[in-house]
Amino acid sequence: MPPVIDPDKCIRCGKCADTCPEDVYFGSGKKQVPQVTYPQECAYCNGCVEECPVEGTIRLRIPLPMMLLYKPTA
Amino acid sequence: METEHLKCDVLCVGGGIGGLMGAIRASELGAKVIVAEKGNVMHSGKGGGGCDHYLCYIPEVHGADMETYIAEMMQTQQLHNFQTLGMKRVRTHIAKTFDIVKLWESWGMQTKQHGKYHFAGHAFPGGLRCLLKYEGRRQKPILTEQARKRKARIINRVMVFDLIGKEAVTGAIGIDTRTGKIYTFEAGAVILGTGAVARLFPAVTPGWLNNNATRPTLTGDGRLMAYRAGAELQDVEMRMLHVGPKYFARFGQATWVGVFRDPQDKPIGPFVTRPEGLYGDITPEVNKALFHDYWASGRGPVYMDGRGISNEDYADMMHWFPHEGLTPVLEHMREEGIDYRKHPVEFMTYDHGCQGRVVTNEKGETSLKGLYALGEELAPGVSNASVFGWLCGENAVDYLKNAHRPDVGDMNEQAEEKAGLVGKMLGRRDGADWREVNIALQQIMQDYAGLLRTEALLQAGSFHLARLKKEAYEIIRAGNQHEVARCLEVLNLIEMGELVFMGALDRRETRGTHVRLDYPLTNPRMNGKVHIQKKIDGKPVTEWRAETR
Repeated sequence: MPPVIDPDKCIRCGKCADTCPEDVYFGSGKKQVPQVTYPQECAYCNGCVEECPVEGTIRLRIPLPMMLLYKPTA
Repeated sequence: METEHLKCDVLCVGGGIGGLMGAIRASELGAKVIVAEKGNVMHSGKGGGGCDHYLCYIPEVHGADMETYIAEMMQTQQLHNFQTLGMKRVRTHIAKTFDIVKLWESWGMQTKQHGKYHFAGHAFPGGLRCLLKYEGRRQKPILTEQARKRKARIINRVMVFDLIGKEAVTGAIGIDTRTGKIYTFEAGAVILGTGAVARLFPAVTPGWLNNNATRPTLTGDGRLMAYRAGAELQDVEMRMLHVGPKYFARFGQATWVGVFRDPQDKPIGPFVTRPEGLYGDITPEVNKALFHDYWASGRGPVYMDGRGISNEDYADMMHWFPHEGLTPVLEHMREEGIDYRKHPVEFMTYDHGCQGRVVTNEKGETSLKGLYALGEELAPGVSNASVFGWLCGENAVDYLKNAHRPDVGDMNEQAEEKAGLVGKMLGRRDGADWREVNIALQQIMQDYAGLLRTEALLQAGSFHLARLKKEAYEIIRAGNQHEVARCLEVLNLIEMGELVFMGALDRRETRGTHVRLDYPLTNPRMNGKVHIQKKIDGKPVTEWRAETR
């Protein structure tokens, strides 16, 4: 469920948990890899990805009901 | 009950584009300002993910006559956004847009492309292009920095739930969404900017409450606290439609460059036959229900088709996507192997259910002294929010110069009442969580005040909603302070639903998306009228009024 944090890359700065408008990281401890407590409340705004100082640490996994639909063409 | 009492000149409730602009302007005019934000101002609000287009009138670009610009603008989706606001307010907005754009430029927002103002999208081929392209990906962090620079105090994670004041609005009460601390704000003036109403009607995926183009935590908090305090709301029963990618609910339709086509590749609109970056395909702005109608009549799906797009237009589109807050869409397409140059993407009509506004004049003043409202409390758009943020900040400071500050009275009584409710929610071991109540509300709204309305349906729905409300207050439970905020939002939404039913029952005509099967005519006697709802002596009343008042 979105967002997904790579614990090996995370520097535990807490910026994502601080700035998430929906507070999906509610309850995360200081200086720890943030926990995604309310994944279903993510609004996919990309704010946490934007604020994370280490590129590639957070990615948003788009849930299956939101899969973009396209027309297969040659 | 832990409480903190804070005093300021201007309280901005909601730190979106409008709230921050109000805070910036009021602060630089010397006012002591507090911004109380339910989330975090860095990315909150509808503009929190970014934006790439801004209604901006520049005489050198559009000609000396602003009315020509406005007339063109009112043929696009702005007709739905701005109708019944009153032309005085629309003119005040448009006249100020270029000033704000220049200001944003000076704050580090890129508003020019290759040294020139560039207008594109949401336009009829050959017509005036009203929307300035700008690089708004970091707009919220930039405005946050400017507010902080001017010493506005920003308090994140506070959900303000009620206004205070008798003869004038003199403050507000809120709750910390992490600790439960109650804040009582004493303020000379209050600016409401809490955004639109999401989550009243079902999202595009049933039960998936947050799959919403509007931010899901925007739940009409501002307009409801205004209503409870006695302020006038208008046209609450009117429904608001939008279009975007199917199932992945997003704004930014005009950032896609392509042609809307049916399954046989026939364009569904008369405006463009090949992808055209300067104008886009404006078809759905003429009728946003069109994609729904295609689907319902078996002619769908409708595709946004980028095949044949020029390399230049494609490069531009890729440039603008992140600024419009569409990075997650781009990443998803990359991961799924969707190449927009080859693969038409399905689009759909989104039903946001509820439009409505707080009644304001061209100064941003509501019907209550000392209370201002802006942004999506009235109408969508970054341009609208930023201009009225600026003007509300200015006008609120002006008001403070002359206003005598009435006694704030006992704020604790109101605070304790809410704290009691919160205590009950937290104390329940069994009961319904906010999602359960929210979904129950949505199905009533959809089936009894949705696409088709009749006296019988609306009466039945009102009855069901009243039962739901009673039950909700008795059994809604929160596991922690985070869930308390979600519960308070749902209780606000129930009240919003009641107003929709009341308004829809009282509007005995069909108009736009308000379809009364028992009153199929659009009554010309109601043209140019606004439908007011307010509380007098604790009782809800409705009233019709000419819009230009």
